[in-house]
Amino acid sequence: MAKNVAVEAAVHFPRVRLAYSQGTLFPLFASIITGSLIIAPVLVVLFRSLTTARLGAFVGLTGENYMRVLADPKIFEMLWNSTIYAAGSAILGTVLGALLAWIVARTNTPGKALVELMPLYPILMPPIMKNIAWILLLAPNAGILNNLLLEYFGIEGRPFNAFSMSAMIWVFGLACVPLGYLFLLPVFLSFDPSLEESAYIAGSRPMNTLWRITFPLAIPAFLSALILNFLRGLRSFETPVLQGSPGGIHVFVSRVYDAMSVEYNPALATAYSAVLVVISILVLLFYIRTTRFSERYATITGKGYRVKVIDIGKWKYVTFLVVFSYFLIGIAIPFVVLIVVSFIPYYDFETFMKFPTNMVLANYYRVMRHPSFVTGLYNSLTLSLTIAVVTVLMGIVMAFTMYRTRAYGTKIFEFIGSLPLAFPPLVLSLGLVIVFLGTPLYNTLWALGLGLFVAYFPYALRNASGSIVNIHKELDEAAWVHGARWRHVFFKVTLPILKPSVAGALFYIFIESIRNIDVAVLLTAPGVEYGPVTLFEYFRVGQWAEAAAGGVIYLIILIVAVSVAKLAFNVKLSL
Amino acid sequence: MSILRVEGLVKSYRDTLALDDVSFEFDKGILSILGPSGCGKTTLLRCIAGLEVPEQGAIYIADKLQTSISRGIFVPPYSRAIGFVFQNYALWPHMSVFSNVAFGLKLQKLTSAEIQKRVQSALELVGLKNYETRYPSQLSGGQQQRVALARSIVMEPRLILLDEPLSNLDAKLREETRVELRKLIKKVGISALYVTHDQEEAFVISDTVIVMDKGKILQYASPDEIYNKPANQFVASFIGRAAVVDGRLVRAEGQDCLVEIPDFNNATLVCQKPKGGAVGEACKVVIRTAEVELDSRKLNHKDNVLEGLMLSHDYRGGLTDHRILVGSKEIVVTSHKLCPMINIEDRGERIYVYIDKSALSIITEPQPSLSQLTEL
Repeated sequence: MAKNVAVEAAVHFPRVRLAYSQGTLFPLFASIITGSLIIAPVLVVLFRSLTTARLGAFVGLTGENYMRVLADPKIFEMLWNSTIYAAGSAILGTVLGALLAWIVARTNTPGKALVELMPLYPILMPPIMKNIAWILLLAPNAGILNNLLLEYFGIEGRPFNAFSMSAMIWVFGLACVPLGYLFLLPVFLSFDPSLEESAYIAGSRPMNTLWRITFPLAIPAFLSALILNFLRGLRSFETPVLQGSPGGIHVFVSRVYDAMSVEYNPALATAYSAVLVVISILVLLFYIRTTRFSERYATITGKGYRVKVIDIGKWKYVTFLVVFSYFLIGIAIPFVVLIVVSFIPYYDFETFMKFPTNMVLANYYRVMRHPSFVTGLYNSLTLSLTIAVVTVLMGIVMAFTMYRTRAYGTKIFEFIGSLPLAFPPLVLSLGLVIVFLGTPLYNTLWALGLGLFVAYFPYALRNASGSIVNIHKELDEAAWVHGARWRHVFFKVTLPILKPSVAGALFYIFIESIRNIDVAVLLTAPGVEYGPVTLFEYFRVGQWAEAAAGGVIYLIILIVAVSVAKLAFNVKLSL
Repeated sequence: MSILRVEGLVKSYRDTLALDDVSFEFDKGILSILGPSGCGKTTLLRCIAGLEVPEQGAIYIADKLQTSISRGIFVPPYSRAIGFVFQNYALWPHMSVFSNVAFGLKLQKLTSAEIQKRVQSALELVGLKNYETRYPSQLSGGQQQRVALARSIVMEPRLILLDEPLSNLDAKLREETRVELRKLIKKVGISALYVTHDQEEAFVISDTVIVMDKGKILQYASPDEIYNKPANQFVASFIGRAAVVDGRLVRAEGQDCLVEIPDFNNATLVCQKPKGGAVGEACKVVIRTAEVELDSRKLNHKDNVLEGLMLSHDYRGGLTDHRILVGSKEIVVTSHKLCPMINIEDRGERIYVYIDKSALSIITEPQPSLSQLTEL
């Protein structure tokens, strides 16, 4: 009897092993395809930057483009502009975001509910909408504020200039606030109160405790947010192109765009891109170092403490003023300006001031009759939905391959999957344009879809691996033991458990991609329209009121999407 | 003159009373506050430190009023000049060991030479001499605990409050540390209030113990008295291993008395006579089951023999728990491994339980009548 059992086990063992390795094959294959899709544009950018030939021809490698970029006397100006712009907005946004997080989490400031909606704000207000609203407000001649000052206060000289460095920092800095807020809010909320209490016991008064204990403990999260915001500044497209270029302030991203769309010089564009990529990678490495440094502070994370709200006495009127001004300037005013402008016949200051007597729906009619906007709208909706589903699914498959199969060398996927993060979206789409040139995919929605896929894949991958690592491996192994194949494990165990975080990632990628400009702008063409890019073009040619109307239409779509996500799927919403 | 006086403290969280009219006075030595989790002991400590404001009552430290709700006085925690060791140590992760310990001294504007000297000697005292430049995350749990202690004693407070400071250490380290901790506090010579839920820890560390439950002080006495003369059933069962059964006083004989126990087939036991309690009154009988003897033979020269049935044994290594059915009640008796009088394999056998009267105590707490129950 005992002998029989032994024989049976010996017979079955190889079959178990076989099933296990078969379980590796498909996910591994899928991950390799995904990985190649990502790595192709990256390699192409590097390769193209080393050749001077026209697209399609090959004349050998040369450093000429780099020499040209480095010999460009404007290179230092560009470097300087990029740094000032990214650093200025990162500092403005992160400091303000951190301050608001502290006010909301720890003080008895009245009206702080105004700021608690902050995570929703970047979802509802796409970057280009902010630029349009602030250009309407700050433009030197037509701008609302300059005209108001002149008309009602008699102040001449038009102090505001939307096309200056300070206006660029102002607009993008406001866009950096939510990230600072979201990084620091959990720090202040999950703060171990005994760290402050032990300072009181040691004789430290509340103000001293705030400066010596509370704020220093938030430094790691603050630095993380600051560096990420800096990186976002380096990669950002809308503000440099819409506000910087008209004012003659050039940064790397706007140079890449000009080299491609104005001069049509792909080699030069790729060389600028390569410099930008090197800077981005340096910043990313610095970011990784900072998060390592913050491990020393590891003791602050952990248990859910009940934090004490501090009564800050009469200071609460000051903090209320901060909260209220942010709400007004950061959220309400741009919103209102955009909506008002979408309802007036055309934009200039006099017409604007006549609102609401001159309210019309003409802009909406015009926009909705415009074929390139309508098809663009349709394309952006369908493509975003598809991309969100495909990206998230492939992200999970790759994470599954890395953490749940026995294939060797899967750690490389982690590197490949995060690679697009080092590449500004505009640079990625530049690479794809060059890849597809001369193939049937050139100037098709497929190319556009692929660009969005590559750009958003890192988010899907990071989300999936973060969640998969947190699922106990025993749950999978129990399924293997009970006779499941990889598809059973994947669809019946892994995917259902991942559902909540999958929903969040799906929603995030959908929202990000439906309003994307910087990936799509080089991949659109007549016949391949994308809604946000159409709006961008409207604005570039001065059809401000139409652009505003189109923006409001997108706003409504986003509000519907947010409501559906919140009410129907109970998705946790953030940035 | 007393270092600490608490009068009529009341504090509630939502519906539950965390402190229900707590009063006590304490002068020198180490006082433990012992009780199950949620009994209000940590709340009491936090009220004394000024980290919580009670709803009623007053707190005096060194005869100076610190908190008085009726007189509207509340000294903030940073002006109370006491020490506090938190359960999770609360070391500031962004400061080195030196900066952690020196924090309070720097606020007192002492010279850096003075600070240096005092921090050094505090760290030396807790055995962390060369650890000044380390950060809390680079220390083990035991070392962190000692830094927290050094941070408190460096301020030379009049009173040090310790909130379960050993509960995050593993069992073996905890046993070593509690002896060290007592020595250290004695050496420094400050008064200490020590909160714990571990009876052994409380007994080893402190000179006197307060047992608390449901926001009330149940007993305030020396460890010896609490163990041998528990004030009520809760104290008896919370302190060490004891079986508590209902009984009735049937006769008094000089210093002793006779109790009848219905659950043990109306067997009678000779006990030391309690202070109160009249013949015929109901009472509780506490049997400290670690102090009774077992024998499979019937010995006639001993008092207080109970006849029982051996149900099962729980082998614990050096000790063995025997489950014995006496009358209609199952009691658990712990025997030493070397106890020769019983056969450990015995099951379902007759066994005799010999209880010396020193292993017994009588509680004659008034039973709540029905009218009192409805009042509650």
